[in-house]
Amino acid sequence: MDPEFVILPMVLIGLPWLILHYVTKWKTSATITTDDEVLLDELYQLARRLDDRMDTVERLVASDNPEFQPKRLQANLEADNQQLRELDRLIAEKKGTAK
Amino acid sequence: MNSPRTTLYRDKHNAKLMGVCSGIADYTGVNALWVRLGFLVLLFTVAPILLPAYFIAGMLLSKKPPHLYVDKEEQQYWQRVRQSPKRTAREIRARFRDVDRRLAEVEHHYVSSNPRLTAEIERLR
Repeated sequence: MDPEFVILPMVLIGLPWLILHYVTKWKTSATITTDDEVLLDELYQLARRLDDRMDTVERLVASDNPEFQPKRLQANLEADNQQLRELDRLIAEKKGTAK
Repeated sequence: MNSPRTTLYRDKHNAKLMGVCSGIADYTGVNALWVRLGFLVLLFTVAPILLPAYFIAGMLLSKKPPHLYVDKEEQQYWQRVRQSPKRTAREIRARFRDVDRRLAEVEHHYVSSNPRLTAEIERLR
């Protein structure tokens, strides 16, 4: 049997099958509506604000009570790392100007 | 269009030609270099139709509005939303739970040790 007779149907049937399979998968996957988007935006901003406020409160309590040590479940959090990097950068700048 | 953060734009700011590839990169969170490489490889191997498709997309898609996101973190957040809204919702819930736990810790500290009361007692001695 010629290899063409195998490859041609494979491409003609298999490729559209593959494409349609992923198209239906993409269509049935949950798309978010405008309301969902607004809700997610609000939740994100709220979570961020609460997180910042909690940081402030923890710092205040820790400055009043030295024995209070806030525990971090996620020790390597990107939001905190970013601030630490900023601090490092500022310290480095200050050292650079002092010299 | 009322959902500015979940539509596909062409990113003229980081564009090489019309910004379609960089727009896809910005939408999905994949590095623009990989999107362009994949586009070129597909273009020259299996799908030359991608070339007219590129220009059609370049004409149909609107430009990404400037200042859509406040910072890098927000941009990454929306990339994750576009990848999987469910997972992002779970992440948000995790963040709220984390704040709740930390608040409970502060509350517990004040209720159990009561630093003000011990200070008063110290003063009375």
